[in-house]
Amino acid sequence: MSEPTPSDIAYAEIANLEDLIDRDSLREVCRSFYDLFGLSIRVFSVRGVLLANVHEERSICRYVNSLPSGRVACSDTVAQAQALIPTGAATATHKCFTGAVYDVLPIMYDGRQLGRIVIGPFLPSDVNEIPQTLLRVDPRLEPDRARLALAEMPRVRAQTAQRIASHLRGVLDLILFSGHRAQLTSAMHLLTVRENYRELAEKNTRLQEAFDRLKELDRLKSNFLATVSHELRTPLTSIIGYSEMLEAGIAGELSPEQGGFVETIRTKGELLLQLISSLLDLNKLERGQLKIKPEYIDPRAVLAEVKETCLPEAEKRRIKLELQWDPDMPVVQADPVRLRQILTNLLSNAIKFSKDSSKVLLRVRNAELHMSDGLEDEDDDDLDSGSLGAALMMAPERAIEFSVQDSGIGIAAPELDKIFDAFYQVDGSSTREYGGAGLGLSIAKSLVTAHHGQIRVQSEVGAGTTFFVTLPETQPDAV
Amino acid sequence: MQLDFQARELTVKLVYYGPALSGKTTNLQAIHRLLVAEGRGRLMTLETRDDRTLFFDLLPLTVNTDMGLTVRIKLFTVPGQVIHNSTRRLVLQGADGVAFIADSQVNEVRANQVSFKDLRRNLRENGIDPSTMPIVIQYNKRDLPNIRSEEEIMRMASQGKERTFLATATHGIGVIDTFLGLIASAFERLESMHALSQRFGLTHRSVVHDLRDRFHQELEAPPT
Repeated sequence: MSEPTPSDIAYAEIANLEDLIDRDSLREVCRSFYDLFGLSIRVFSVRGVLLANVHEERSICRYVNSLPSGRVACSDTVAQAQALIPTGAATATHKCFTGAVYDVLPIMYDGRQLGRIVIGPFLPSDVNEIPQTLLRVDPRLEPDRARLALAEMPRVRAQTAQRIASHLRGVLDLILFSGHRAQLTSAMHLLTVRENYRELAEKNTRLQEAFDRLKELDRLKSNFLATVSHELRTPLTSIIGYSEMLEAGIAGELSPEQGGFVETIRTKGELLLQLISSLLDLNKLERGQLKIKPEYIDPRAVLAEVKETCLPEAEKRRIKLELQWDPDMPVVQADPVRLRQILTNLLSNAIKFSKDSSKVLLRVRNAELHMSDGLEDEDDDDLDSGSLGAALMMAPERAIEFSVQDSGIGIAAPELDKIFDAFYQVDGSSTREYGGAGLGLSIAKSLVTAHHGQIRVQSEVGAGTTFFVTLPETQPDAV
Repeated sequence: MQLDFQARELTVKLVYYGPALSGKTTNLQAIHRLLVAEGRGRLMTLETRDDRTLFFDLLPLTVNTDMGLTVRIKLFTVPGQVIHNSTRRLVLQGADGVAFIADSQVNEVRANQVSFKDLRRNLRENGIDPSTMPIVIQYNKRDLPNIRSEEEIMRMASQGKERTFLATATHGIGVIDTFLGLIASAFERLESMHALSQRFGLTHRSVVHDLRDRFHQELEAPPT
């Protein structure tokens, strides 16, 4: 049977008996009917297809069939009985020349005739004499032999015939009903699944369109940001440059007050330039345009440089910067400019949030990077893969781990996940107290990711914060 | 509607729609119970879980008219639960009329309205203008406490174009009225669209008349 369409089930009709009925089961039912009543039975679909046939040739039939004219008359009778189509729901009867009859029962379902059941031949109980039609069927027919053979034909009273027919009709109706229900159920299952799929597919298309639109808007935003930042930077460079020239006295000596003003203009200008550069960096990182340029570097040297850069800031608040490293530090592949940017950002944060006269510890040590805890498998959606390919996947990568540990105000646990988001500030008010645009950690994280590394944080409110940056010793895409 | 000229047979599909547990299946069960055996089909329930219909219920009935035309009426219910929307849309296909079974309880107002909106949306999705679909409304469960008053319902109903009926389907009250009201609405529309009276001498009045005779007299209530 072909796949159902919604219009197939619109009226929940049975298309035809052949599709609905299991012929083996029907034959079994007919066989048990034959065993019970001893009556031959044939089931036809409305199109005349024989669906079940359980019968036994009767003695009289065998005898008549052995005579030439009898054979012709017999096959005519059988053909007529089988071709008889009852009108409406009433049983039709076809008489045989032997005096026997065939009952033809319409198979009605839902007001329609789907087929017919032919029961017989059997002898109505009121036939006592051998009929003339039988005696005349063939000149060679011997009446005594015919009488004996006819006596073997099952006799059924009209009332009994009706009861048998109604029983059979009941059984068949049940089979049809169950079959019909099963057919509708399976069609509905199939159609519902298909309809749900169609609905989901439509929704997916709409979501994809919305997603594409958002992506396009995001691209426009990034472009806008890049253009604006660039356009801001150009005049700012002039402001800073001319301020420096004024400070240097190129345009004449400045009074101490004028010098102070110009210095403020320059330092604020530099701050602004830093902010704009950060924005540009972030923008480039978001668009995947920023490429790191790995070189072989000594991590200890980088750490020492970072310490030097931040020393003036720390000394202003009598904060001590302490360096620690393992004795056997290897030379590693990293972009020195970007690595300094990451560590400077972490260190200047640590200083910013530390108490006066406290200590910040800068460390670098040998470590390992595991695929499972890294950012490498961000696009691996098979998170439940468990021990799949463990022999390969569990192998750690050799790495170095930088850490910056302060004893400052700390960060509350719920905030820890968000601190790497762009523009995020743990406390909106802290911006004014401590300064910054909330871009540093986001940039640091992007830069670490670009190094195939990992950045994480441990913190306890009031006790301090430690940032860890783990970088692999080698960069896979380094030239 | 399906018309088989050769067999002089007209098949009409009517759908019982409404929110979950408003009594759609109960309406069909009551109709089945109240119909005389002749021409009454078997009530088929297609998949249920916890007494909830998953696909649909189907009650076929056949009427032989004086004009020699056989009218086959197929009553369907839809599953009321929100998640079965696609099933509802499938069952609604080819419907010639809808009986909307609402729950009379005051706190079911929203469920009724959500379901009615769902009906309109599904009709539109099937390419049918809801305003052209013959619809009758039944406020069921009149035997429960905290129900909307009859006056209020009738006042609201007078503002709309749908015939509105009150029922207690569990007791068979109002079920036949609703059914005959739906038959009248559906055949009025079929008459105007397919000139049934001209071609077959079939009018909505004659069908309602023929059908009314098919119900057991003692429980019959006159149609409005």
